[in-house]
Amino acid sequence: MYFKILLNIILGYVTIEVEGYFIERFMNYCNSQKIFLWNLKRTHSTKVIFNIGIKDFKKLKPIAKKTKCKVKMQKKKGIPFFMHKYKKRKIFVISFLLIILSIIALSNFIWNIEITGNETIEKAEILNLLKENNFEIGKCKIGMKTNEIVQQIRLKRADIAWIGIQINGTNAIVKIVEADVKPDIIKEDEYCNLVATKDGMITKVTAQNGTPVVKEGDIVTKGSILVGGWLEGKYTGTRYVHANGEVQAKVWYSQKAKIELNQVQKAKTGQEENKYSVKINNFEINLSKRVSKFKKYDTIETTKKLKLFSNFYLPIEIHTKTFQEYEDRQITYTQEEAKNIAIEEATKKLDEMVQNKEAIVNKNVNVENGADYIEVEVIYEVLENIEAKEKIVF
Amino acid sequence: MAKRRRENKIQNKVNKLLEMPAEISSNIPKITILGFEKMLIENYKAILEYQDFYIRISTYIGILNINGYELNLNEMTTDDLLITGKIEGVDFETITEE
Repeated sequence: MYFKILLNIILGYVTIEVEGYFIERFMNYCNSQKIFLWNLKRTHSTKVIFNIGIKDFKKLKPIAKKTKCKVKMQKKKGIPFFMHKYKKRKIFVISFLLIILSIIALSNFIWNIEITGNETIEKAEILNLLKENNFEIGKCKIGMKTNEIVQQIRLKRADIAWIGIQINGTNAIVKIVEADVKPDIIKEDEYCNLVATKDGMITKVTAQNGTPVVKEGDIVTKGSILVGGWLEGKYTGTRYVHANGEVQAKVWYSQKAKIELNQVQKAKTGQEENKYSVKINNFEINLSKRVSKFKKYDTIETTKKLKLFSNFYLPIEIHTKTFQEYEDRQITYTQEEAKNIAIEEATKKLDEMVQNKEAIVNKNVNVENGADYIEVEVIYEVLENIEAKEKIVF
Repeated sequence: MAKRRRENKIQNKVNKLLEMPAEISSNIPKITILGFEKMLIENYKAILEYQDFYIRISTYIGILNINGYELNLNEMTTDDLLITGKIEGVDFETITEE
């Protein structure tokens, strides 16, 4: 039944008022002619309003004549009437169609490339790689063979272990897994020395193979040989071996920090000003004057890509420039304060350098007082294994 | 009349054997009332009277009277009729064969 109503909405229907004394007869005639009526309402003792399909409406005339009823049309509804309404407004319809067509056409291009998973390789480098293989912003995605692009890039680059291109609407997601650069592994049957990777003072030498060159208490520099890859026998003479072992040393890490007692610092006043500009591809339109009204300010730029729905990116960007006003403020530290700040700064840097906190043996702080500054040097003594294998080249 | 009844009896037996629903195999109307505001009548013959407070429908076995107010005929096809509105009472007038 609902299907019949829906069909009539598509094909068009009319609302009709029938007036007469024999409306029941009229309705029964309609029934016998298999005319579908719906939403019948009795508004008056001689009037009935109902809906009827366009096709059936033509059949009503003889019935109305027979039953002496008057038929009055009230409303025309449905798609054919709706279309008829817009027949005169050709430009409207054409522009509407054009918009739909342009959206369809634009959705076939790539308007955004997202790169994820890169740690050491620069984003621009990957974009360049993609560009070489005809994959860039503004390219049509029809007929694009992502598989081939992926293959090409993988052949070209050894440091990319895996690359995947996923196209979601107008958004392309490039996923990259970088290959770990493996250290050159020296085979067991090749000869090698153990050399120092850092400067330090030797605290322990355990050589499993080879002759130790250094002993406890020696100070070594980076690159010097710790354990030689040879053995000297009484009868065999010098014999080269694959050196192996562990060398532990005290390594010093130091960081300096200088704090001036009289400083000029930026202090934000909290006042902000936003300026917008629209960027279409490479064409930029400023919506307001570029110059800020503040005397001293920081500029923060952010760009936002416009998108339709969740991942239909448009080639339009909105630039926002935020100007944050600041004031210069004179700050004077006391000696003690400056020292604390400097130590804090230096230790912060050192903590980043030294990952293994348990290996720290000693911490030293040297303070140098100047006339209007304080310089602090923080030194960490860390126990570390510093050996590395190096091939012997004859 | 007697002959017709016999024919009916045979038909009934066949229908029972085939497990046909009664409303399809015969002209008996099926009346479904949903709540107090919706009423579906299948297998009706004609509308005898239609006012917004009173509807009289003839079926093959008798006449159906519906009392209420704001009664609308929501859908009307050759064999079903959907009445909506506040239904207050329904009564039947069976045709007695004499």
